[in-house]
Amino acid sequence: MSQVLISIYRYNPEQDSKPRMQNLEVEAPGDRDLMVLDVLELAKAKDPSITYRRSCREGVCGSDGMNINGVNGLACITPLSKAAGPARKLVLRPLPGLPVIRDLVVDLSQFYEQFEKIKPWLINDEPPPAIERLQSPEEREKLDGLYECILCACCTTSCPSFWWNPDKFVGPAGLLQSYRFLADSRDEATAERLAELDDPFSVFRCRGIMNCVSVCPKGLNPTRAIGKIRNMLVEQGT
Amino acid sequence: MSRKPPANILSLASQTAAQRKVKTARPVNLNLFSIKWPVTALVSITHRISGVLLFLAMPLLLYVFEMSLSSEAGFRQAGAMLASPMPRLLCWLLAVALLYHLIAGCRHLLMDIGFGETWRAGKAGARAVIVLSALTAVLAGIWLW
Repeated sequence: MSQVLISIYRYNPEQDSKPRMQNLEVEAPGDRDLMVLDVLELAKAKDPSITYRRSCREGVCGSDGMNINGVNGLACITPLSKAAGPARKLVLRPLPGLPVIRDLVVDLSQFYEQFEKIKPWLINDEPPPAIERLQSPEEREKLDGLYECILCACCTTSCPSFWWNPDKFVGPAGLLQSYRFLADSRDEATAERLAELDDPFSVFRCRGIMNCVSVCPKGLNPTRAIGKIRNMLVEQGT
Repeated sequence: MSRKPPANILSLASQTAAQRKVKTARPVNLNLFSIKWPVTALVSITHRISGVLLFLAMPLLLYVFEMSLSSEAGFRQAGAMLASPMPRLLCWLLAVALLYHLIAGCRHLLMDIGFGETWRAGKAGARAVIVLSALTAVLAGIWLW
């Protein structure tokens, strides 16, 4: 067993007027690596009032996105060794830029509103064929690196452009999904989708600083998707 | 768009923005010093800072430029002014800001036409900007002294 020092962002709206950092020490097995979520569970065993979201504990549901030692990531698939290094000190804060409901739980409404804006569903008015709308393997390949997004909000809440304009800039997650439908051969609303993005904020607030790419737990690349959307807007001559 | 989304998404969309209004009293975790910045972000923010510096230095540079163009005496006066150590250091700092701004700006342009958009290339490009700027800063120093 060895000590892990954890510093956790605490805020309980019923008790605290402002957030504070709580320091805790937990005993973690020294012979094997743990995930940050495992350490957090150990901390919760000591102090059951610590609040966070979690569900699948394997990087699929996207609920335990948080700021781990300054970097957004999913606690369940971020190894303690990678996050804390040999110092074995963890600093856990909620995802930056969004209102904190309690401790590590943030209000994702603004994130979802931006997601809704890009109409994240297939638009096709043709009557559906008897079985399904077919795609060639090449057409399907274009969706790789786009459809895998789990909407954990790690990218969007690491983006300064989103921090300053959460109501106007769609953000990396929303734009990645937007391109996922722009690139879909079965979607017929390309022109309408582009028209709705054609303003100074929705897409063009991206400055290509790649914070989103650097934190995505699924290894996706919103910066490239945004570049593709930008090129489509330019080609459309709007 | 007139086309209808599927019913399950429609129910989500039918909530008005007011219904989902965020409680403003909630704190926000946005301590920029608690966030670890990747090299790509640091290169980008420095690009902006160098741009602001250059913009702020414009009146000063124009003033000296104007002086040097006014007459032969003015030219000598400007030359003598820039020969003393502090103004020369300032010149070097502005040259460094300009070179950095130029190189980092070229990287942004390259990325806009689709080069270096992968994470690995993005990092490599950012590091290249730092190395190139440092080299040109040294060269500018040699040229000035």
